[in-house]
Amino acid sequence: MKKKLISVLLAAAMAVSVTACGGDANGTTATEPAGETAGSTESADAAGDAGSADGQTLTVWCWDAFNMDAMKEAARIYQQDHPDVTIDVQETLSADIQTLVQTYAMSGELDALPDIFLMDDQVFAKYLQNYPEVFADLTDSGINFGDFAPSKVANSVADGKNYGIPYDSNTVIACYRTDYLEQAGYTIEDMTDITWDEFITIGEDVKEKTGMPMLTNVQGEPDLLNMILQSAGISVFDEEGKISLVGNDGLKEAMNVYMELVEKGLLQEQTDWSGYQGSINNGTVVGTINGSWICSTIMSTDQGEQAGNWAVTNMPKLNDYAGATNYSAQGGSTWAISSTCSNYDLAVDFFNTTWAGSTEFYDNILVGLGAIGTYLPAADSEAYNEASDYFGGEAIYAKIVSYGSNIPTINKGIYWTEEKNALGVALSNVLSGAADLDAAIEEAQSTVEFTVGQ
Amino acid sequence: MMKSKFTGVQRRNLTGWLFLLPATILIFAMSFYPMVQALLLSFQTGVGNNLQWGGLSNYKRLLEDTVFTTSIKNNFFYLIIQVPVMLVLALILASLLNKKDLKCKGLFRTAIFLPCCTALVSYSIIFKTLFSYDGYVNTVLLNLGLIDSRINWLGQTGTAKIIIIIALIWRWTGYNMVFYLAGLQNIDDSLYEAARIDGAGPIKTFFSITVPLLRPTILLTTIMSINGTLQLFDESVNLTNGGPANSTLTMSHYIFKTSFEYNSQFGYAAAMSYVIFILVAILSFIQMKVGDKR
Repeated sequence: MKKKLISVLLAAAMAVSVTACGGDANGTTATEPAGETAGSTESADAAGDAGSADGQTLTVWCWDAFNMDAMKEAARIYQQDHPDVTIDVQETLSADIQTLVQTYAMSGELDALPDIFLMDDQVFAKYLQNYPEVFADLTDSGINFGDFAPSKVANSVADGKNYGIPYDSNTVIACYRTDYLEQAGYTIEDMTDITWDEFITIGEDVKEKTGMPMLTNVQGEPDLLNMILQSAGISVFDEEGKISLVGNDGLKEAMNVYMELVEKGLLQEQTDWSGYQGSINNGTVVGTINGSWICSTIMSTDQGEQAGNWAVTNMPKLNDYAGATNYSAQGGSTWAISSTCSNYDLAVDFFNTTWAGSTEFYDNILVGLGAIGTYLPAADSEAYNEASDYFGGEAIYAKIVSYGSNIPTINKGIYWTEEKNALGVALSNVLSGAADLDAAIEEAQSTVEFTVGQ
Repeated sequence: MMKSKFTGVQRRNLTGWLFLLPATILIFAMSFYPMVQALLLSFQTGVGNNLQWGGLSNYKRLLEDTVFTTSIKNNFFYLIIQVPVMLVLALILASLLNKKDLKCKGLFRTAIFLPCCTALVSYSIIFKTLFSYDGYVNTVLLNLGLIDSRINWLGQTGTAKIIIIIALIWRWTGYNMVFYLAGLQNIDDSLYEAARIDGAGPIKTFFSITVPLLRPTILLTTIMSINGTLQLFDESVNLTNGGPANSTLTMSHYIFKTSFEYNSQFGYAAAMSYVIFILVAILSFIQMKVGDKR
């Protein structure tokens, strides 16, 4: 009996320890080392008490060295006139911010939130709908939302009220290694304004001559598929935000393109984001198609020979599908002020002075970090026409901005993660031969419907 | 004064209870209270904080959830393959390391136990790096000429499952071995001597003396391993992220997804946790009935 009791207790202890270990899984999806982000204000203790007593400190959560440096630049500009204000930038991964916001909202511990946090555009609407109490209303804050790209502002609006300050551009670009293309006898012009069929023909040739795949992607997370869909104006949600995969001809065509890319070895699936980044930085892939924020990843390689050998162009379009374009959107993020912000007026003033009011600031982060904002007054700036040596001496920022206006709009829902997961499963199943395309799409539809139903 | 209030027995009982009190309060506050809350939560439906009373609807829903069924199957696949292999391996290692004439015993024991000191997440990431497409394993196999082209280990259903099992065995064998070693210390040497005199070989000794006398320890490790495997989370999340096509997704990982990645349905997630809880309880009960014959 004693042994039995001990074994039960030990089993319980084991159960507790296993569950406890689950918690630290969040911290491991680090996508970018915060290498160069020196500074004493940086703190890894993201879950710590974020509020401050004196009201002169604003705590900020954001991810990636790139975003953190942009925020620090804003802080530097603001502190020129407000030397007693401290902006405490704490690195918190996007997925962690989502989990933390959710946990605090569920438990009612909103005080634990930072004053300001960055949120992925793809989930902003979802959080705004599910946890409206987390976000401070910015409608009458004096921030001029007309200064931002309308499609971007719309993402953080609910019931006609503004809850977010738009940040980086989500315009999709295709980046290729010109030295690899050259080896196969192609130039960047051959990759511009092309269709996916043309891309596949060129890609097969390049693969044969260089042995390298054209693109990489994180397996099970078909971001590229979603980019193809939006480029042709194909919605996977109807106007009411309901999932609509079955009978969606555009989706089928896009999936066929995606699978052809994988089957022909032109799209190499990587197990995770760091594998994806690694393929770019280690030069084992010819190019990549992603939101323009990928430029900072491309430039973060330690292979010096990559400099000057990259070029930016638009993405291939979905062949002869009606409405197909070479332009799409992916990622991007928006700042939010939390409802429990220790000093709302200070936070608003900070944004009005920098993120929503300083073209100088946007010039600095553009030139220094390659961060492309969506603040319209900054778009006329000379900085956009500056040539980038890394990208073959071309003024890529002006180019990216010019792409932005061509992006088709599609219906988006709050069930984006569910959709992405289900389509990832569908693609894996068809590619492994476990299901045919129609059956896989049907299954994806019913999975999403099941997941969102109650 | 105190003497008049309590008799000796009562006082001793009281002291006992006082000693138990801190642990009891902690267990109640940290384990039992959340468990009751989770049970109540599992009867509610809704997204995020907007929860309504839904009765048994979450449990009904579970029966139709194909993803959850897949995750249960995956869990049991790991359980059926990994637990026996690991325990047998641990038992063999333990009896080898228990040999009196073995040299560098401490070194071997430490080496085999060391994986348990690695954080779950760290070792998952290391395994992922090893088996990634551009990873070490592929490079070595390719250079040795054993494979013609790189294998997407974690990207194919079969290999992904096998790698999770290999990772689990690497991580947990040493842990179970330590229990067996401790159990072996309690077996009297004279039994082995007697067996030797009677002419029993090492295999006969192993099955007739070691295994029967280690039965309580084997029972304990089996329950712990089953419990651990049913709650498997880190490996599924970090090694494969449940893919490809949910083929490595575990129940706990699906619960996490339902709670934190999708539009959160905590009620439904709580219902799934209770299914795991019941499964663990049933399996442990069977184990105890079958394994503990005293």
